[in-house]
Amino acid sequence: MIDETRLIEIKGVSKSFGDTQVLHDIDLYIRKREFVTLLGPSGCGKTTLLRILGGFEMPSTGEVLFEGKDMTGIPPYKRRINTVFQKYALFNHLNVFDNIAFGLNLKTPEQLGCKSRAEMKQEVARRVNRMLKLVKMEGYEKRSTNALSGGQQQRIAIARALVNEPEVLLLDEPLGALDLKLRKEMQLELKAMQQQLGITFIYVTHDQEEALTMSDTIVVMNHGRIQQIGDPKGIYDEPRNAFVADFIGESNIIDGTMLQDDLVRFSDTEFQCVDEGFAKNEPVDVVIRPEDIMLVGEDVGMLRGVVESVIFKGVHYEMIIESNDCKWKVQSTTMQPVGTRVGMTIVPYNIHIMHKMPVLKEA
Amino acid sequence: MKVRSHRAGKLLKGLWLALVLAFLYIPIIVMIALSFNASVSRAAWTGFTLDWYVKLFKSKQIMAALNVTITVAVIATVVSTVLGTLGAIGMHAMSTGMANLLINVSYLPMTTPDIVTGVSLMLMFIFVKVPLGKWTMIMAHIAFDTPYVLFSVMPKLRQMNPNLYEAALDLGCHPAKALYKVIIPEIMPGIVTGALLAFTMSLDDFVISYFTSNTDQNLAMIVYSAARRGVEPTMYALSTLMFIVVLGLLLIVNRRNGLEDIA
Repeated sequence: MIDETRLIEIKGVSKSFGDTQVLHDIDLYIRKREFVTLLGPSGCGKTTLLRILGGFEMPSTGEVLFEGKDMTGIPPYKRRINTVFQKYALFNHLNVFDNIAFGLNLKTPEQLGCKSRAEMKQEVARRVNRMLKLVKMEGYEKRSTNALSGGQQQRIAIARALVNEPEVLLLDEPLGALDLKLRKEMQLELKAMQQQLGITFIYVTHDQEEALTMSDTIVVMNHGRIQQIGDPKGIYDEPRNAFVADFIGESNIIDGTMLQDDLVRFSDTEFQCVDEGFAKNEPVDVVIRPEDIMLVGEDVGMLRGVVESVIFKGVHYEMIIESNDCKWKVQSTTMQPVGTRVGMTIVPYNIHIMHKMPVLKEA
Repeated sequence: MKVRSHRAGKLLKGLWLALVLAFLYIPIIVMIALSFNASVSRAAWTGFTLDWYVKLFKSKQIMAALNVTITVAVIATVVSTVLGTLGAIGMHAMSTGMANLLINVSYLPMTTPDIVTGVSLMLMFIFVKVPLGKWTMIMAHIAFDTPYVLFSVMPKLRQMNPNLYEAALDLGCHPAKALYKVIIPEIMPGIVTGALLAFTMSLDDFVISYFTSNTDQNLAMIVYSAARRGVEPTMYALSTLMFIVVLGLLLIVNRRNGLEDIA
């Protein structure tokens, strides 16, 4: 599906507002027909990066290439990029039809392949109706945008951007204001639209589950720097540092010491692992997913502990287990009552060893 | 006991309100009544008549003043609406510090006593040797109308989704096109309210007009000069009509503001 050609290349982009630097030396490329998600907590710079791509902000240093040509100084109205804004930004003085037709009506008949104004009017109506069908809003042409629900407004905002047939669609937390169920439906619809239309989507969100569901590539950002770039599975299974591990899904992050290749010590116990290339006795972050800890009998576990609290989460129970002054978050489908003494085992390839964060900050 | 004192309190409150309203409106009601009185006398009611209104519309002097009033109000409203709207948009785009400074500077003319504004404008016109007349009056009206437009438009801009302008650019508008295709329609309710307010202020202004004009008199100035010669019931009729027009305009403005608060 994804073309290997690099559609957009971001080279050494930094951005400061006054004294605050919000983006540090960002390098990133985006391929044709790729669904890329910029993921990170609020204030990580993801929206600023998106706004630079849209042409609403200029990078302080660095350049942005579009099909190999520098587009840094090109204003938004000359880019083949359209945006779906966080708060929809629909034009309330226009009805649904005129909102979607807005971009098309700014074009000349020739640009739409028409010979006359009258012919163009028909062409605009045809394209708008096709979009209404795509976003499942047929029959709403004459409605006022004020009379629509949040989810419906979002659909119109998407249609208004897509009708211009952009090369790239930028989406700034478009589902943030919707309820959970609607959000999940829209995630699947958006992904389906993207595949059907073959357009590159660049999607900003702070919701890791959303990112995992929709993306071909996830770019995890924090403090204005890219922490990791990879496909959803790669990022979830092999987080590059403790921040990514903590942000994508839930994690236990414990201080440990790398004794030698494939052997780590934490919680006063030595464990086999599958990581190599660390210095001898190097202090490391040990990351273990809550679902990767297996509860066993107290006498056969690698670690022993006491169940401190239990929360029912629907699919599983989440338990906090205290062991050797360490608190472990464990997810399991079988519940152990509070106060039970349990044993825990972890298989070597579920133990992820990471360099300590300060080392990574310099990188 | 308690119930009774509660009732007494309620009655007292109602009475007080009635008294205040009476104090405010009885003079106007008396004036309106006298404008329909057949007698010139203010003491006796001798029968209902519309003669004073007929006389009013036959008076060349009053019709000339009406012409001046409306010309001044229309031109001043149009110009101040354009100036105020563009000013508001510009101030909205500025840094907070600069915008706050300009907002305070714009408030000043609204709080300055009319007589100070009038005298200072007159001095300025004399200083730059512009002969006083209809056009200086129009310029003065533009000066005091503009802040009303400015402060009607500013809140609309603040309520506006900041992404609207960017959305217009994103969809292919040049900045100027984005302004008239998206921003202006979005803040139109504020612009109309501002224009109505400006028109009302122009219609009933006396003090500033008095100082900045010469032989061209507006209706308020006619009433004033007539009153010095001894009031005729035509002036009651004229004042009644002005009161009703201004009241009507203010009701429209209030209704618009009220509707938007609900929306």
